Amino acid sequence: MTSYLYDGTFAGLLTVLALVREGGEETTSIGTAPPAQAGLFAATVRVEADAEDAERLLDEIGRRMSPATAAHLYHAFLSETEGAEMLLHHYLRLGWQEGRCLDSLLSHPSVLPVHRLAHRVRFEAHRLKGFVRFREVREGFYYAPLEPDYRVLTLMAPHFADRFHDQDWVIHDVRRNRAIVHGARRKGWEEVALELTGSPVTGGREEWFQSLWRRYFDRLAIAERHNPRLQQGKVPLKYRRYLVEF
Amino acid sequence: MDLEERLGILAENAKYDVSCASSGSRREGRDGIGNAASCGICHSWTSDGRCVSLLKILLTNACIYDCSYCINRRSNDVPRAALTPEEVAELTIGFYRRNYIEGLFLSTGVVRGPDHTMELLIRAARLLRETHRFNGYIHLKLVPGADPLLVEQAGRYADRVSMNIELPTRESLKLLAPDKNRDAIVGPMRTVSGLITRSREERRVSRKAPLFAPAGQSTQLIVGATPESDLQIIRLAEGFYNRLAMKRVYYSAFIPVGDSRHLPALPGPPLLREHRLYQADWLLRYYGFAAHEVLDEARPDLDLAVDPKCGWALRHLHLFPVEVNRAAYEVLLRVPGIGVRSAKRIVRARRQQHLSFDDLAKLGVVLKRARFFLTARGKRLETLDLGESVLRALLTAPAPRPKARQLSLFDGVGGDESVSVLTGEL
Repeated sequence: MTSYLYDGTFAGLLTVLALVREGGEETTSIGTAPPAQAGLFAATVRVEADAEDAERLLDEIGRRMSPATAAHLYHAFLSETEGAEMLLHHYLRLGWQEGRCLDSLLSHPSVLPVHRLAHRVRFEAHRLKGFVRFREVREGFYYAPLEPDYRVLTLMAPHFADRFHDQDWVIHDVRRNRAIVHGARRKGWEEVALELTGSPVTGGREEWFQSLWRRYFDRLAIAERHNPRLQQGKVPLKYRRYLVEF
Repeated sequence: MDLEERLGILAENAKYDVSCASSGSRREGRDGIGNAASCGICHSWTSDGRCVSLLKILLTNACIYDCSYCINRRSNDVPRAALTPEEVAELTIGFYRRNYIEGLFLSTGVVRGPDHTMELLIRAARLLRETHRFNGYIHLKLVPGADPLLVEQAGRYADRVSMNIELPTRESLKLLAPDKNRDAIVGPMRTVSGLITRSREERRVSRKAPLFAPAGQSTQLIVGATPESDLQIIRLAEGFYNRLAMKRVYYSAFIPVGDSRHLPALPGPPLLREHRLYQADWLLRYYGFAAHEVLDEARPDLDLAVDPKCGWALRHLHLFPVEVNRAAYEVLLRVPGIGVRSAKRIVRARRQQHLSFDDLAKLGVVLKRARFFLTARGKRLETLDLGESVLRALLTAPAPRPKARQLSLFDGVGGDESVSVLTGEL
């Protein structure tokens, strides 16, 4: 009967998962804060993230199950859903028994919820690859704000780093105050904490491109096929705030 | 006219080209700007629900032809505008850097002659690729009657090339587009198809061999402007897929943009028919169906009430139900309501377990239609053998929607009789 606390990083979670695999004690909860209602006989253990342990665990998961399993773990973790850590714990525990077959047990109660979470995260990351709108705030420097449901920035970064590798850009998760910062000359990106203190100032050239795009977008719809319900399914209102054309 | 105004006009007149695909090409952003994602990315959706992934635009909407279905026909009194290849390239890069688009879809009206027009299109594409070192997606329209050498050049710069067949038969084309002739369209399609095959073979030998339209070619035809049956259209599409290795055939419900005496007066664009044609098209490309299975001379038009696969299954009830734990992948694909994704998940999951209907639901298989055509662990959900007519009625019945009603605070307090009948507490 043990509750585990970790620091909220993926490495931290992996360290806990490696620990509970070795220890025989029953795990009652894994989280970043102590459970609201602790069990009478439950001990609380605070686990420090250990990069080596985490690396070793991921490596073994890749070998015993498959690299896809490791990806599912990471993506479901990014959903930040309450209780996701325990789902991953059950998923992995089944994985040690089933090995390579784990991800084929599509309707298993330990597998299905993890697949669902991971899928939702991947879907949002893919969708947002289209919905990012950069604003040129200074000559050659581009800024794009977002408010994703999940922590998808790191999943999107490689795509944009490849596409706009000659460009300085920032993709900002306004809700979580995190950002991907990419430098053209340093040839790389990193995730940093970033808080917005004022609204970014855009120049005349930027305004010009935005108004061109709006004009273009408005002219593109065919009136005879008007179908706003379909449009709303594809571009949910929650994303429209930062879309230039809406 | 300033650029914004011209952009408006040229976008307005390009929007009837349906193609928006940005998929099928993979290019990494090594030097220069941009890359191409093989899965394609949509960037927005307009209020008609169509996706925007490319900057779809005409170089000019002036045209020497007079096709009655087309908004840009010579005799139509609309404002004309043109962009230079330089302007197109600048716009594309500006939009691309802001992540508005995946790339460029460049089409045009025909000015002076096919060759001259084709050269302008190629110039824009070359500017993008060579001067701006643009690695994103480019879709170029081929101009009917253009020199084969120009066609070849276009494919070197573009990811996809396309030429619209416009109308399913030679006769219709002659009636509505007197200046175009079918051979001038199908000829270049053959050229392109040959060049694509050759380039693929060369690339198999050497990775350095030049690419030619790596995302293939597509075409488009108008549905409902002329009296052709769905059978004729689907057969034509099948020919394109099988003989010309076409990537996509697009269908566009006819929207009257002119009043020619040759054009029918429709109450609205035949959107449902268009939808059914797309479904039939998918059956050809992903589900292993042949055109003659979907439609035949006895019923040359698609049933608007049920989708084509359902229609096929209703005509072949003796093949059903199939056992979900044993049926081959190809057979599962033919079950109404089961798509490629579901069939793959079923095949994967059943290696580990014997599937029941509950499991199917958990896999995300939609059972609304499939339930009538499947058994799981030997059991059916529907105990009766329903005949074709009953099944058809069940399949076309509108989904029951619980009627929303304002609840009253005091309802049900005094004992609802229907509840007590069920529980027996009378």
